[in-house]
Amino acid sequence: MDTDRLKENFAQVARYGDEVALFFYSDLFLRAPQARALFPVSMSAQRDRLLGALVKIVSEVDSLDTLVPFLRGLGRDHRKFGTIAEHYDAVGASLLVTLAHYSGSMWTSELAADWKAAYALIAQTMIEAAREDEDQHPPWWDAAVITHERRAFDIATFRVATLQPLPYAAGQSVAIEFDECPRTWRFYSMANAPRADGTMDFHVRMVDGGALSSALTRRLRPGSRLRLGPAVGGLTLDRSGRDILMVAGSTGLAPLKAILEEVATLGSPPRVNLFFGARTADGLYDLPDLEKMSAEWRWLSITHAVSHDFGDRSYGGERGAIPDVVARHGLWRGHDAYICGSSAMVQATAERLASAGLPNDQIHVEDFGWSR
Amino acid sequence: MMVSLPPTGPRLTPEQVQQTRFPPSRLGRRGLDENEIRAFRDRVEQELVMLSNEKASLAHEVERLRHRLLTGAPDDGQSADFRPDGSHVQAVQILAQAQQTADRYVYDAQEYCRELTQDARRARDEIVTEARANAASVLDQAHRDASRAAAAVPPSAEPLSTGERQRVQAELAYLRTFSDVCRTHLRAYLEALARNVEEWERAEKASLSSLPPDLPAGLPGMP
Repeated sequence: MDTDRLKENFAQVARYGDEVALFFYSDLFLRAPQARALFPVSMSAQRDRLLGALVKIVSEVDSLDTLVPFLRGLGRDHRKFGTIAEHYDAVGASLLVTLAHYSGSMWTSELAADWKAAYALIAQTMIEAAREDEDQHPPWWDAAVITHERRAFDIATFRVATLQPLPYAAGQSVAIEFDECPRTWRFYSMANAPRADGTMDFHVRMVDGGALSSALTRRLRPGSRLRLGPAVGGLTLDRSGRDILMVAGSTGLAPLKAILEEVATLGSPPRVNLFFGARTADGLYDLPDLEKMSAEWRWLSITHAVSHDFGDRSYGGERGAIPDVVARHGLWRGHDAYICGSSAMVQATAERLASAGLPNDQIHVEDFGWSR
Repeated sequence: MMVSLPPTGPRLTPEQVQQTRFPPSRLGRRGLDENEIRAFRDRVEQELVMLSNEKASLAHEVERLRHRLLTGAPDDGQSADFRPDGSHVQAVQILAQAQQTADRYVYDAQEYCRELTQDARRARDEIVTEARANAASVLDQAHRDASRAAAAVPPSAEPLSTGERQRVQAELAYLRTFSDVCRTHLRAYLEALARNVEEWERAEKASLSSLPPDLPAGLPGMP
């Protein structure tokens, strides 16, 4: 298999962008009409995801050390969509037809054979991982909502219980699907470290125009049914012994709160400084709980800040954008930093800390990559 | 399964038929009718065009089947090297167009929902800011009125009156006036707020009922 030739051919095809994915899915649904039901009505986000995954696979085709775990994760993750081994044949045929169509005169039978062999390896890796996972976990976890609390007009917290135990580490996330928005999965972080009774807390903020986040904020009730995917994500506690800086933007607090609970179980917890920022004071939806935690845990101190106070003279916290507030309080060298929030906030904070001299491997951020 | 093709070699082409010339019939003798010859010649030409087309498509079909036999490649609108044929590409493009239309509908609905939420957020920020400003001015006003009322407490005619009693009465007058002013303003403000919210609800209902009626059922993205 000539991987350089594959890369070159893919670069050629990928220039057509979204059109390529559109052609691929249309071909797939002609070939296997029953597969259409596995996807949401709108396919725009799905096409971005497909292209993202393909770009990642092709760019890492020479570094199997990272590619194989990625593919195995992808294979396991696809179980929750109802993907079965037979679907892989149709996907492979559609992929090759799409590549052939967009390669035009560049397409040769050698290229066809190489792609066919490459896809066979990819499919095999994914199918194997899915099959091994079958012995250990269900394809998804059925969950029921126990409590749902509206904390602000656009923020809610809720607690769920799963029928089967869902293993995870503090700081990880699961994809959530709600009946009201079928086939729409979005990632949410658990806001607690694993408990003996298996219940899990989530924090959700209504994204303007976001179907699932609106439904989870406004229409979830005790008894509502959800489906959860397997736990993913690498924003977990690094037991380095260093002191910790946590920076949370709005509901980005959830995974950091889970990590705090894990820190509390350590024999001698490091000092933790948590910065909790939001646009307005009522975006600081979890302050009472955090203050309770800091009263109980002497190693924890909490600073909160709003970026827009709308003339609220009574607000007693700090004012300003959260990266600025964090920078005002020190350089944070020698700390492990954990940052979670909007991508803009995470990026701005990470850059600020890095330029102040914090090494990159001490800056932990959530990265959902292609799957978000 | 194999199809035997006719042997190759020099073959009659439509051009050759077109170029065929018949010598003119001899004078005084009955010869062949030239019109008929022309008509026949056109028919032969047509026939040959059809034959060569059929042959080309048969040869193509044979090649495809042969490849399929040799490679075991699946046969669904593409040749063995997966290059899709024209009719398949057309079908794919029709489906792609339908998908794009659906995407558009969902996008529009989501955009609409996003705008509604943004409006709500803005309206809420305005109301909260205004409420804070109002509260501050109500308190100031109440304080001013109450101070005046306290200062205006007349010296008591009671013989037992003391400085202490005077002070308590002034304080009482202050508090009474202060709470009266606060209550009045608060009631007026709450009524205005309720009117605001009702108006907002009416506007939202009106705009929802003006949505295009042909949106597909069960669209995600709608509140």
